[in-house]
Amino acid sequence: MEQKVLLVDQQKCTGCRQCELVCSVYHTGASNPSRSRVRVVKWEQVGIYLPMTCNHCEEAYCVEVCPTKACHREPDKDNRVVIDKKLCIGCRTCIIACPFGQPFFDHQERVTVKCDYCDGDPQCVAFCNVKAISFVDADRAQMAKKKEAANRLADLLKQARG
Amino acid sequence: MISLTLIVHHEEQSSSGDYRVTTESIQSTRMTKYVSPQQEWKEIIAIYLYLAGMGAGSFIIGILIHWMGVTFNPLSIPFVDFLGVRLDLAKLPIFWGAIMVSIGAPFLILDLGIKWRFMYACLNPRTSWVARGFIILSVFIVFGLLILAKSLLPFRWLNPESGLWLIPEGIAFVFAFATALYTGILLKATKSVPLWNTPLLPLLFLTSALSTGSMAIILSTLGTGLLSYHSGAMKVLMIGEQIFVVIEGIVLYLFLSRRYKASAQGKESVRLLMTGKLRYVFWQGIILLGFLFPIVLEWISKYYQNSALLFIAGLSLLTGGFFLRLGLIQAGIKDQIPMQRLVEFQYGIKRVD
Repeated sequence: MEQKVLLVDQQKCTGCRQCELVCSVYHTGASNPSRSRVRVVKWEQVGIYLPMTCNHCEEAYCVEVCPTKACHREPDKDNRVVIDKKLCIGCRTCIIACPFGQPFFDHQERVTVKCDYCDGDPQCVAFCNVKAISFVDADRAQMAKKKEAANRLADLLKQARG
Repeated sequence: MISLTLIVHHEEQSSSGDYRVTTESIQSTRMTKYVSPQQEWKEIIAIYLYLAGMGAGSFIIGILIHWMGVTFNPLSIPFVDFLGVRLDLAKLPIFWGAIMVSIGAPFLILDLGIKWRFMYACLNPRTSWVARGFIILSVFIVFGLLILAKSLLPFRWLNPESGLWLIPEGIAFVFAFATALYTGILLKATKSVPLWNTPLLPLLFLTSALSTGSMAIILSTLGTGLLSYHSGAMKVLMIGEQIFVVIEGIVLYLFLSRRYKASAQGKESVRLLMTGKLRYVFWQGIILLGFLFPIVLEWISKYYQNSALLFIAGLSLLTGGFFLRLGLIQAGIKDQIPMQRLVEFQYGIKRVD
């Protein structure tokens, strides 16, 4: 199955944190952003907001360090990396290992939780008013990333030429 | 402290009517996000690492003493009755290491979110060092306690003098080494904390395990009267322990200096330890209690032939060993998230160290 990914356009994000709320409601039934799988990182002083979610990395450190195989990949479901709550012991090794600051410890369920693409219909995408998060084929995301890198390089070259 | 400086580009009209782009720094704010150390592993993990390391180190030294055939003094209480069984205490002061590891392991379980699931922790030894550690510690505890039980129990059918006992003793010895090394590998294997991500950390924990372990054996053999202060074996033990402390000091220096240069977060971690909020743990706990006090007190104790001072030096060294683990756990700052680095780059938000 073709891999899909969550693509974040940071320039569109207004920092409303709607994504955190709907994620929390979908997964836990509670409107509690601290239990959300997506977190909006803020640079308040300069008005920059960056929704951060799991990248479902090809070489996922969380899968590697998990002692119970609770954290595992599902190739048939968008190649996502998920945590099986029935196997998780709450050792939090995955949280320390993830370079993207991702899995979160749910203090109510006493296990580690992370983005699972809401089983193919990410709620953060559905409810984002400004479409800052989209759920796209991995190839399209790569193209967008390449485009972004090319634009950035062009800007830098322009600046260098004065 | 890290401050953020926002670089603003704006156009302004010059007197000749041309527009030109100028750049200026308009804001300097405190940013504490990246200097916050990890909050997932705390004191409980430090206690576990300490008891596992010290217990394994003392077992290594104890079994070496046993293999060298050192002659022991008779104990003042050589036997004790337990549930009608007469336990021989002659080797207890050198074989108790596995008990310490057995006490330390439950601390790891205490730290789990769902404690009763601790048995699941061995399901992924192929890639996970937590799972490998579970197996290493379990094997050491089983064989270490077996060796201890053999020395305690009076049953002749155990045939304690048999050469076959060298096999479980050898296995326990190898796994004691693995346990002492593993305490450092556990932290190193998490990869995303620059302070921990170095082979010097397992080496540091191994040398610390051997220094605290040998000191613990000195205290237990001296305290129970198994070895006298003036015996040759005690002198060798003390010289060995001092060598381990010196090696540990050199490894600690190399570790900190290399980590300082490793990355921004490694630098912050070392700063946090040496001049930040963990400076008391570092200077008083690790340096003073773990190195300076024991070295000076041992030297004075040797000069005045005073074993009481050696006990104070020993307790100080053992406390320092705990603070070493606690300090390194609490100073672990994770790498900056790449996307955040990209955003800061994109918007010219500069980190000023």
